[in-house]
Amino acid sequence: MTELKLPSSIHLGFLTVFPEGAGFLGGYLVTNSWGRPVEFRLSTAVQPNKVQQILYGHTLTEYLCAELIGKTLVEKTATPVQLLVTDNLSVLPIRTRLDIPTILVRSEDGVSESGLDVPMIRLDHQRSSLPLWWREDHRADDELIRAILDRVDPALELTEPFTRIREAMTEARKMGATSRAA
Amino acid sequence: MPREDSPSTLRLLDVDDSTGDDTPTTVVAGESFPFLMNPEAVEVLPLNFDVSLAVGGLPKFECSLSPNTREARLLNDSPWVRGLGSLEMRVQTEGWKFPTPPIDLPPRPVLDKKPAEELIPTDEVVPDLPDPVPVPPKKPPVRSKPAGDTVLFKDRLLYLLQPPIDHLIGCKSVGVPFEPFPYQLEGIAFLMPRHSALLADEMGLGKTAQVILAIRLLIQAGMVRKVLIVCPKPLVYNWVRELKLWASDLPNEIFAGDTELRRATWFVSNCPVKITNYELLTRDAEFLSDDRASFDLVVLDEAQRIKNHDSRTAQIVRSIKRSRSWAMSGTPIENRPEDLINIFGFVDPGRVPRDTPSKRIPQLTADCILRRTKDDVQSDMPPKFLRDLPLELTPPQREAYDLAEKEGVIRLNDLGETISVQHVFQLVMRLKQICNFDPVTGSSVKMEQLLADMEEVAANGRKAIVFSQWVEPLEVLAKALAPYGPMQFHGKIPSPQRPAIIDQFKSDPTKHVILMSYGTGSVGLNLQFTNYVFLFDRWWNPAIEDQAINRAHRVGQKHPVTVTRFLAENTIEGRIADVLNAKRKIFNDLLEQNGPPPSLGLSEDEIFGLFDIKARPKKNGDSEAKAA
Repeated sequence: MTELKLPSSIHLGFLTVFPEGAGFLGGYLVTNSWGRPVEFRLSTAVQPNKVQQILYGHTLTEYLCAELIGKTLVEKTATPVQLLVTDNLSVLPIRTRLDIPTILVRSEDGVSESGLDVPMIRLDHQRSSLPLWWREDHRADDELIRAILDRVDPALELTEPFTRIREAMTEARKMGATSRAA
Repeated sequence: MPREDSPSTLRLLDVDDSTGDDTPTTVVAGESFPFLMNPEAVEVLPLNFDVSLAVGGLPKFECSLSPNTREARLLNDSPWVRGLGSLEMRVQTEGWKFPTPPIDLPPRPVLDKKPAEELIPTDEVVPDLPDPVPVPPKKPPVRSKPAGDTVLFKDRLLYLLQPPIDHLIGCKSVGVPFEPFPYQLEGIAFLMPRHSALLADEMGLGKTAQVILAIRLLIQAGMVRKVLIVCPKPLVYNWVRELKLWASDLPNEIFAGDTELRRATWFVSNCPVKITNYELLTRDAEFLSDDRASFDLVVLDEAQRIKNHDSRTAQIVRSIKRSRSWAMSGTPIENRPEDLINIFGFVDPGRVPRDTPSKRIPQLTADCILRRTKDDVQSDMPPKFLRDLPLELTPPQREAYDLAEKEGVIRLNDLGETISVQHVFQLVMRLKQICNFDPVTGSSVKMEQLLADMEEVAANGRKAIVFSQWVEPLEVLAKALAPYGPMQFHGKIPSPQRPAIIDQFKSDPTKHVILMSYGTGSVGLNLQFTNYVFLFDRWWNPAIEDQAINRAHRVGQKHPVTVTRFLAENTIEGRIADVLNAKRKIFNDLLEQNGPPPSLGLSEDEIFGLFDIKARPKKNGDSEAKAA
């Protein structure tokens, strides 16, 4: 994914995974460059048992967020995206598993308080009210990320779709959709 | 007595846990107790073992015992371990695809790239700006929510996942000439998810703009592809103008021409937005039975046109094949609550049964109606001054009036039981015309007053609208008002010429006054560049008068609007005004859920009550004045 040739219409993937009871729940919204919904996918809640917690240890959250839930959601979605946006630091390592530039939208405090020891690149951009971050070891994505962000319509604010995803997941919970995801 | 066959046998009841069988098992004492068989091991005692246990006398259980058993892993099974369960974690997902937006425009070029858009190493300290600009409080985004009757989860998701309306408006794909007011954004958010909606905002709040923007967003989202707009004939070009203003990227087509041309528009044209008028729709009724004449959305402007359930127009409108039905009306109840029920016959057939008691109507319709008044939403809108101007008739007018009324009342009384409301109505019309002009001399106190007022209007560089019930007085006034560049807009002006008249009135500074009939000019026109409205004579229904006044007092108006209602003193006009004023205040009651008024126009009794006449018609059911 190093070529700068982008398709005529780009799609963005907004991926979030958050704690749900004792487990984790994921939601993934694909939009066009104006933020209009194209596809939406959600996961069932994943609740690791004691043995899994012991086995995975401190890598459990990253495994659940990036590999198990995040990667599955992206791979099962039909519409390919040019940029993944997440609001969860633990999802960011998905970049090592997928060939899609991935950025985190998060306040500086949110990143520094996470105690993450991986060097990060920060970008303040007009399309986001919060700073954008990605890992230093993916510096090669810089140019592509900036090119894609320039294609995003000014009407779209990158933090806003996560509000929609959460509302949709609340609705899904009310209607029992998360328990019958298949 | 000991039993001979088994003197040392214990008969035990054992329970076989594998079979549940209660077959008795015999145990021989010598086998189970070997010491009994060795005389050397024990001293032989003269004991008699002839013991017989009798079970028969013991109490019994009420039911036979049926114990349950289960397997138990024994400790000597090797290895003794507990299962760990699955080490592998699994996740399941469910997904939904939404309609693809038909167009995807490239984004606007970024003109004002911030210098801050630079990569900043995380360990670098960014100094604060010395004098940060205060940030205005952020308004909550305006979002569309699924309607109460949207039951499918996918449909609900589609609306929940739409971007905020205020974010979309103004982006590249939804450019607008000026930013809509917050209440208009809420109106769009109300309309978008609804398949059944009545937008009943007070006149002048920009219903057309709200509907056009909602249509535009739905089409861009791929949720709607074919739209039909039905409006009164005089408003067709107004819709075209508004579409050009608010949705210049949306092609539209007007139904016009002969039958073959219209057939092509119904069946061949792929234009996403088609506009027709009620009269033409009635003529094209035969086309509506064809499946090709179906629409994703049908919008009825001035929906009070279908207030009579059995009218041909109402029947034809209801027969249009459609997925979504939106109605627009600032006066959904012109006369009686049934008007609203009949509009709902189109909006959501079956939601409000025709025999629904009035008090139940608000409960059934609340989720589908959005009604805002200027007081609700536009506190900063320029004020509207209402000036009721009582005028003394000129002597020739008074003489003619008194004579006409006296003779008319005598004639009515002579009719006895054959009198009808039409007879009274004819007299009312005759007297109202005399209040405008003396039929012999042409003398008119109203015209004198109007000429005086117009002098001031023109001197201030302002513009005015004059409304009358009839075309003839307007033509007379046009001559008298010649110094003020009068323009005429009424039923005698052909429809194709009307848009140009409005445009010229707006742009030409020498045109200070436009003369309009209530029937032609009271609905749909945007004349917010005028600041004076004169009601030369009064209409029968306050709702129509309000519509006329709101041509000027509407969104976009920057100055106060003065409304002058001429009223000939001691005449029929004063008596009608008294009745209507008493009713005007209850006009919005039904929509505000305070209980409906029985009627808004003049009832038969009220029309008879305008004169001191004793004659009354034979009663045969409800006969509310149709003209009212």
